[in-house]
Amino acid sequence: MDSLTSVILIPVFTAVLLLLIPGNFRVVLRLAAILGSACTAWTAVSFFSRFHAGQEGLQFESLVPWVTVGPLNLAYHVGADGLNIGLILVTGLVGFAAVLVSWNIERHVKLFYVLLMSMIAGAMGAFASLDLFFFYFFNELALVPTFIMIGVWGRGEDRNWAAFKITLYLTLGALIALVGLIAFYVAAGANSLDVTVLKAHLAAHPLSAAAQTWIFPLVVFGFAILVGLFPFHSWAPIGYAAAPTATAMMHAGILKKAGLYAILRMAVPLMPDGAHRWLPVVAVLAVGNLLHCAWVALRQKDMNLLIGNSSLAHMGFAFLGIASLTVIGVTGTVLVMVAHALLAGLSFALSGYLETQTGTLDMTRMGGLLRKMPFYGSALVMGFMASCGLPGFANFAGEATVLFGSWKSLPWFVIIAAWSGLIIGAVAMLRALRAVLQGPEKPEFSRVADLNYWRRLPFVMLLSAMVLFGVAPGILTSRIEPAAKAVLAAHLTPSQAHQAPAVPAAHAAPAASAPGHSGH
Amino acid sequence: MTPGLHHYLIVSALLFSLGLLGVVARRNLFVIYMGLELMLNASNLALVAFSRYHNNLNGQVMVFFVITVAAAEVAVGLALLVALYRKRQTAHVEDLTSLKL
Amino acid sequence: MEHAAVVQHAVESGSKIQDLAWAILILPLVMAFGTAVLTPKNRTLSAAFNISGVVVAFLLSFTLFCVYGGQSVDATPFHWLPVAGLDAEIGLHLDALSTLMLMVVTGVGSLVMIYSTGYMHEDRSYTRFFSTLSLFVFSMLGIVLANNLLMLFVFWELVGVSSYLLIGFWYEKPSAGDASKKAFLTNRIGDFGFMLGILAIWSLAGTLDIAALKAKFVANPALLGPWAGLAGLLIFMGAMGKSAQFPLHVWLPDAMEGPTPVSALIHAATMVAAGVYMLCRLFFLYTATPGWPATLGFLDGVSAATIITCIGGFTALFAAVIAVQQDDIKRILAYSTLSQLGLMVMAVGLGAKTGDASASMYHLVTHAGFKAMLFLGAGSVIHACHHEQDIWKMGGLRSKMPKTFWTFALGTAALAGLPPFSGFYSKDEILAVALEANPIFFGVGVLVTVLTTFYMSRLVLVAFFGKPRGEGADHAHESPSSMTLPLLVLAVPSAFIAWLPLGEFLSGHFKPGHATHGGDILFGPFNHNPIAAVFGLGAVLFGFSLAYSLYGKAPTQDPLSAKLGLLSQAMRNRFYIDEIYDGIVVPLHNLMSQIADAIDRWLIAGLAVRGLSGVVEIAGRALRLVQTGSIQTYAFLFTAGVLLIVLLALK
Repeated sequence: MDSLTSVILIPVFTAVLLLLIPGNFRVVLRLAAILGSACTAWTAVSFFSRFHAGQEGLQFESLVPWVTVGPLNLAYHVGADGLNIGLILVTGLVGFAAVLVSWNIERHVKLFYVLLMSMIAGAMGAFASLDLFFFYFFNELALVPTFIMIGVWGRGEDRNWAAFKITLYLTLGALIALVGLIAFYVAAGANSLDVTVLKAHLAAHPLSAAAQTWIFPLVVFGFAILVGLFPFHSWAPIGYAAAPTATAMMHAGILKKAGLYAILRMAVPLMPDGAHRWLPVVAVLAVGNLLHCAWVALRQKDMNLLIGNSSLAHMGFAFLGIASLTVIGVTGTVLVMVAHALLAGLSFALSGYLETQTGTLDMTRMGGLLRKMPFYGSALVMGFMASCGLPGFANFAGEATVLFGSWKSLPWFVIIAAWSGLIIGAVAMLRALRAVLQGPEKPEFSRVADLNYWRRLPFVMLLSAMVLFGVAPGILTSRIEPAAKAVLAAHLTPSQAHQAPAVPAAHAAPAASAPGHSGH
Repeated sequence: MTPGLHHYLIVSALLFSLGLLGVVARRNLFVIYMGLELMLNASNLALVAFSRYHNNLNGQVMVFFVITVAAAEVAVGLALLVALYRKRQTAHVEDLTSLKL
Repeated sequence: MEHAAVVQHAVESGSKIQDLAWAILILPLVMAFGTAVLTPKNRTLSAAFNISGVVVAFLLSFTLFCVYGGQSVDATPFHWLPVAGLDAEIGLHLDALSTLMLMVVTGVGSLVMIYSTGYMHEDRSYTRFFSTLSLFVFSMLGIVLANNLLMLFVFWELVGVSSYLLIGFWYEKPSAGDASKKAFLTNRIGDFGFMLGILAIWSLAGTLDIAALKAKFVANPALLGPWAGLAGLLIFMGAMGKSAQFPLHVWLPDAMEGPTPVSALIHAATMVAAGVYMLCRLFFLYTATPGWPATLGFLDGVSAATIITCIGGFTALFAAVIAVQQDDIKRILAYSTLSQLGLMVMAVGLGAKTGDASASMYHLVTHAGFKAMLFLGAGSVIHACHHEQDIWKMGGLRSKMPKTFWTFALGTAALAGLPPFSGFYSKDEILAVALEANPIFFGVGVLVTVLTTFYMSRLVLVAFFGKPRGEGADHAHESPSSMTLPLLVLAVPSAFIAWLPLGEFLSGHFKPGHATHGGDILFGPFNHNPIAAVFGLGAVLFGFSLAYSLYGKAPTQDPLSAKLGLLSQAMRNRFYIDEIYDGIVVPLHNLMSQIADAIDRWLIAGLAVRGLSGVVEIAGRALRLVQTGSIQTYAFLFTAGVLLIVLLALK
């Protein structure tokens, strides 16, 4: 069965299997979860490697009609293209890493792993689905465990408040998006929510510009709340600070990307007029992420809050790339999404381990930990350096691509993004490294221990993926680029040609090297 | 002056209003209960009157049903009330607020 | 397209010697990674691996230099980030500049590594040191070999991070941690401008490839139109960060917190040279037709090159003045480096008029040799004096450490610019260019030479002559041969490089076919530009006599401080530049972050979120009043509602 279904079904079966194991067989439960997520990761890797790069269209597709009542046609339709194949890969990897770092969970082990596996299944399903109804369903399947996990296994006094807040925000966002989707369904009149059907239908009967103008913001801002677009971002750092490590990894790394994915999959390609009307607003709000969240990160003393805020700042790059409406920019956005998934997974895994050792995440109380924890320290340095855009890690490749893609249409935004990524982010991360790793050793942390051998696996795995995609981002871009072109297909028609770049000197724009260039 | 339909209806409305007043304003459960019965019987009266003037027996059949159900209801309701009174030594609604937060 | 023809030829004849450049680049990385993963516990093996990696890279560089000379060739590139319209390669370019720099970097790199086996012998993180050094060499080689702007930026950043790791090598010292952070962040400010410059050039010229850009600029010098000046300055910002030009110079003196071999490698020969190297590489940007956008119209008539000259000249003078009153041996050298870099940058700016930046590049190469030697010599002194760095606590080291003394003296002579040592010739070229272009900057050059000779003579006289003034100097003894050997090796180029036609070789790169001066190399300066040469020599003699009159009689404290009074205080405090940063820039960013945090806390989390939840809660409370729980009330309301509806319906 060469269809993406397998990558959804493996975690589902694992969850069912876990339900059948008695709750007090903890080691068995853990091993089963590790095995299940390893299989998922392996399947995802195999799909990624078997994906034919440079090809347009869907691969590993499968279609099962589900409901066909009158005007309502819903179908389980999965398939991979450049937009989601990378995300499916990192879902597998981060999911596996999240299961590995959860070895120390002691309470309600069975429930924890069942929820975690359903998060993985949900995320996989959301990324694989081409039918928006199933996308929505899978996305909620992944989100609901988040709330429960924060409430039950969360940390800190405020975890109920955090769970409450994150629930409110995310359900609100999902609700707005749902309203937008239903409105879109009605307005499009294709009697289907399948993206491929919609695309064909809308090519023949385009949506009126007026309808696009009000449906687009509903969909985009609804999903943007799930991503944490400024000013709808304040749930994220609090939520991550309170969440158990695995949940924070999965949510910040993977689930946040589902919102962006939906925008790229559906809103931008299917509502080009709405996109032109509203994406400038998104770009302005992205500046909020880039500057505001980066500054907030600068002030954090708690490592999780720092990572949470800086990860919001990275989302600014993703939004900026979408707003640029260029092939390079959108390719960069997908690169950022993939790279940030790995980075967020790594960062939260690192902070989670640190807390098990020091009992705190207050960075002002730490210092000199590099001596006792050389492996951990190196991983932290690498992770944080990747976060402030060091070349050699995938994040730089993504962010640089976004900068290049957006430069012609949004030069001022690029300047702000570069300032945020190169300077503010670096200040925040270096301060944290200085506080945690450098400086004299402290006696109260004399008992901390470095990671032992097999515990290093998730860190090594995520870091190697980041380095691999950083050294050879071509592996990803060759897959993403055709899909990025497809996303912008509707934007490249002559009717959009009046969207000229804002740089006055665009007369000298690259001629030889830009066949599908849209900024011009 | 022969009594017409509207006479019956007026009596019925008066009875209903009295019953409603009893239900809304009184605080003793038994009185409220009697108010309820009064409202039921007011509607019975209206049904019978309509039935008579429209030459349609459905209304009277309906009244039988109502009386039957009301009898059953009274049996259960009064039993409950007596049981409650035995337990709490009161039939005053303001003393029976144990479900209120 | 001569360049393309050469490449074509290379491809056709199947000769792929240039692909050796890949080996040069990758070898140090492999060694760095290999030792970090495979032999982290084995000190000897790690050192051997890393040293052999860099030495082999040096030999390969030498081979390439011999094979290609000044020819320009490209090694087979690797498509790093292929997206439509942005084909960023990792490609290696060999020409006169890069082959020469390859030898400098790998040569100094291998000597520094050999030296470190002695200097770092007792350090418990010995292996980490070597693998980080290799990582640094790898990044630096990437800059040298880069054939396009984005790759230049990539390795630019990698140099930044590896210097961060090296400066913060003794991370347990709080000052080292702070210094490494400062170095990285200051560099990042430069990189910010660099990135924007790259974006601007890419969008206007349509390519990132340096050779293609150069060809486009040759065909059309007004390629960037009104953006030429701004793009040039933005690119220069990157150089300002790495080459520590005012006002981004603050990191370099602090970076002396790193181990001394690190200072020798990155703060004398390689990292700080990267900025100047990059300017030479992208020299065509500065010879292009200047232009400014309308909002910067007041700059018309000024080119980016002029601004660069001013910044370079100012840095040279400013740093030389500060160096006069420093007491820490490494800080004196650090400020001296700043000052020399200023001269080089100034020379690039001045050279833009004649289209020849070879003076700058020449000085870069000679400076790399003698400054590395000076730093290693300083390391040897510090090592001998048990980590004492204050020159006033040294003294009398001349007889105790003869090899160190003689090499140090040679380095001083070269740095000051005494013929026949290397520094004289390269500095003379700068002075000659300045004399031709602008007499003011010639004056700056001469003044810097006076000051340089003065503070270096002061350093030598105080540290090596007289009597020991400290515990450490009393028990000092010559360093082991692993440390003195590199000193002796480095002395060779400093003494004899003038016999090689290096200046000519380099100006051949900038102006093919125009040999500026030939034949008699050793006395060349006096023949082709006697004024510059005589002034240069006079400045050295004047500076030395000044220093000798003050420090020749072995004083125990600095007599100059009293004479200069407040000025000395300001010089010692580095003209309060750090304080200005700490007082203005840092609080400003902190303020912004406080404001942002407050917005998050009060406006978004407070007013918007809690406000919204508050409204909902108040509404809830209000509605709760209706919900009494009394069935009688409900019944009443119900009846009232029914009546209302009936009334409305009857109406």
